[in-house]
Amino acid sequence: MAFNRLFRICTNKLPMKLKNKIVLGITFTLVFGIGVSSCKKDNEEEPLPEDSFDKSGLLTNIGDNLIVPQYQLLKAKTDSLQILTTNFTNTPSLSSLTALQTGFLQAYTAYQWISSFEFGPAETDIIRANFNTFPCDTAQINSNISSGVYDLAAVSNIDAKGFPAIDFLLYGKAQDNNYILSLYTSAANAANAKTYLTDLVNELKAKTDFVGNAWSSTGSNYISTFKGNTGSDVGGSIGMLVNQLNYDFELLKNARIGIPLGKKTLGVPLPEKVEAYYSQQSLMLVMEHIKNIENIYLGRNKTNVDGLGFDDYLVHLNAQYGSGSLNDAIKNRFVAAKTKLAAIPGPLSQAVLTDAVLVDQAYAELQQLVILLKVDMPSALGVLITYVDNDGD
Amino acid sequence: MEQVHIAPLVVFRILFGGMMLASIVRFWLNGWIEQVYIKPVFFFTYYGFDWIKPLGETGMYAVYFIAALSAMFLMIGLFYRMSALLFFLSFTYIELIDKTTYLNHYYFISIVALVMILLPAGKYFSVDTYLHPEKRITHIPRIFIFTIQLQLGIVYFYAGVAKLNSDWLIEAQPLRTWLQPHTNIPVIGYFMDKLWIAYLFSWFGAFYDLTIPFFLAIKKTRATAYFFVIAFHVLTRVLFQIGMFPYIMILATLIFFSEGFHLKVLSFLERGLQWFKKKPAVVEYKQYEFKSIAKTLFISFFVLHFIVQLLLPFRYALYPGKLFWTEQGYRFSWRVMLMEKAGKAFFYVTDKDTGMHGEAMMDNDLTVNQEKMMATQPDMILQYAHFLKEKYQKQGMKNPKITVESYVTVNGRGSRLYINKYVDLTMIKEGFHHKWWVLPYEN
Repeated sequence: MAFNRLFRICTNKLPMKLKNKIVLGITFTLVFGIGVSSCKKDNEEEPLPEDSFDKSGLLTNIGDNLIVPQYQLLKAKTDSLQILTTNFTNTPSLSSLTALQTGFLQAYTAYQWISSFEFGPAETDIIRANFNTFPCDTAQINSNISSGVYDLAAVSNIDAKGFPAIDFLLYGKAQDNNYILSLYTSAANAANAKTYLTDLVNELKAKTDFVGNAWSSTGSNYISTFKGNTGSDVGGSIGMLVNQLNYDFELLKNARIGIPLGKKTLGVPLPEKVEAYYSQQSLMLVMEHIKNIENIYLGRNKTNVDGLGFDDYLVHLNAQYGSGSLNDAIKNRFVAAKTKLAAIPGPLSQAVLTDAVLVDQAYAELQQLVILLKVDMPSALGVLITYVDNDGD
Repeated sequence: MEQVHIAPLVVFRILFGGMMLASIVRFWLNGWIEQVYIKPVFFFTYYGFDWIKPLGETGMYAVYFIAALSAMFLMIGLFYRMSALLFFLSFTYIELIDKTTYLNHYYFISIVALVMILLPAGKYFSVDTYLHPEKRITHIPRIFIFTIQLQLGIVYFYAGVAKLNSDWLIEAQPLRTWLQPHTNIPVIGYFMDKLWIAYLFSWFGAFYDLTIPFFLAIKKTRATAYFFVIAFHVLTRVLFQIGMFPYIMILATLIFFSEGFHLKVLSFLERGLQWFKKKPAVVEYKQYEFKSIAKTLFISFFVLHFIVQLLLPFRYALYPGKLFWTEQGYRFSWRVMLMEKAGKAFFYVTDKDTGMHGEAMMDNDLTVNQEKMMATQPDMILQYAHFLKEKYQKQGMKNPKITVESYVTVNGRGSRLYINKYVDLTMIKEGFHHKWWVLPYEN
């Protein structure tokens, strides 16, 4: 081997002792390097020392008790949404419309509980952008309906589909169900409108099925990859969770509250930019969303069973903030942010005009929480903030 | 002047050229040229170098191509001096575009490339001397090799001096934070979240940096020291994302080895290269002609360069405040992997004429990496504030006021307000003067 030859040539005149040392050094390097690079894939069964933080336990808890059941919930809700849509399009009536609206809000709510998991299968299918790019483009939606020709996969239709578009189709500007019903019965494009609505719901369901199946242990079993990837590199599960949690939380602060409040427009409010503008359920959805982010942090599932989470990790590391613990600071900020959000009288599109001070207080509270989650927490955990830019939401 | 064989310098030239070629190819293949120098709309230039601009897609790829080609020519020793000059210029130009990507090892490469222009490293075992055997020399003044050794020694020693601070030695920070996520690494992973290992690594790291140049310089300890060089840099490669730096240092420190060692490396290479065999190997003795003007010039450069090298890292002492917090005089000082610092900045704009006020949301002005790096470095925050001022002026706002609310954490101490949030940054000039608008660090 060339390497051996080089080595012999280079060490010909060196004393035996030194030679041994060099051999040892090179062997150490090689064994170490190979050991590290080859073991990256199968590190599941490494017994953890007693006083190490159980990262595998954290991932197991968040994967098994939060992510997978929450995708299952979204699947149940989109299944039901599809059935309710079929019922409505077959027999449009005020009662089938109301039932569909209820089913829609339940599905939209369930979506808030998976929005932070935009990695792995969800990232592949770009769930966040496909499901929830708001505000929707009503002109594009109307033109799609009247022409009856559209490609939902096209980038130009990204804001003409998903929950925001269905929100528009089921509630409209009028907030009058008789009027909405007429769009699917007596209007000129009624048949096209029904088809469009059905297509949007079908896309939601198909993508939800895909992601749910990809995570499932009986499907593509991404859950196993997720739980096994305890590494600290950029692609490690803890890194992906922290990064996406932060990315999603900043979207919550900016897109859902800040932009409608006029933060980006020198204080001029833009009420039509809120999430779920037509159904006027923005605040309810924001509250569900922040609860999910809080739960991820705490490692708590939807039925309030508290397992290993980032709170435990920070406590294990004894992370400090001010005169107290970082964990206490974060927990208190979540409570404060939820309190301030709850104090805003709905709907949000009205509150940004009439109760801007209250919305502003909630926004300020969310900002403080962003700092703790994006600066202090990753710094204490040794996690790099590295998500790539994303135009979704 | 004492004459020594040219072999160590020539091996260094080959390895340096090869590593640079590999670095550039790696950067290119990772898609980083696009990501770092083409995509961004704003670049954080160095003070006094505002005239350095990226050249657009074709231009940047062309510059990288020139850098890669000149690195390859350095390696094979073709048009040596021109290649060294071109490599220095293209590489340094790239690094001057955006301080977001500042790395001590890029600075090191620029310095070495500059020194290489002045050294006769292409005059042996090169394509140049294959084509013009009469130019071949075998012996050079010892000072040429010493220049590289001294530069390497300064990098290590100053990195060691920088570690002599209470966070590093007494708190074992930032290693305490950085090592604990690595419990999944086989064998040594078990120890990575033990506190004593953070202390061991911290103290050993400081001792290693402070002493390794001397142990490499002394013949008796050289081989053992080199074993530690390999072990140390391999370990840093495993634990941290620091790219090519460990490999560059492992190969560069070979310059401390004897001429006998390097002659063997060259004869091994020669055997691999059949076409070299067509000409007889050089055996005759030929000294480098050090003309008196060249000699004076080189020695002047040597003295001046190393005075700057020795003093520059201490310029921070001229500024008030805590260095890790204000970062006044932090760069170009071999402070390598020294602190865990993170931050987040929120910018605000007020129209001074109407009083209208809002958040200057960053949109896509900055890449994720630029935003992250800016948040902890005051000079970059100021540059971005000035960029925002111009942006709002272009949109028709005559008198924008820009303020920043930013929070920073250093070495595990909770985040706190970083910049005085009432200061209108459009009124602050860039420069090397003290940044009074950075809030004092309070524990």
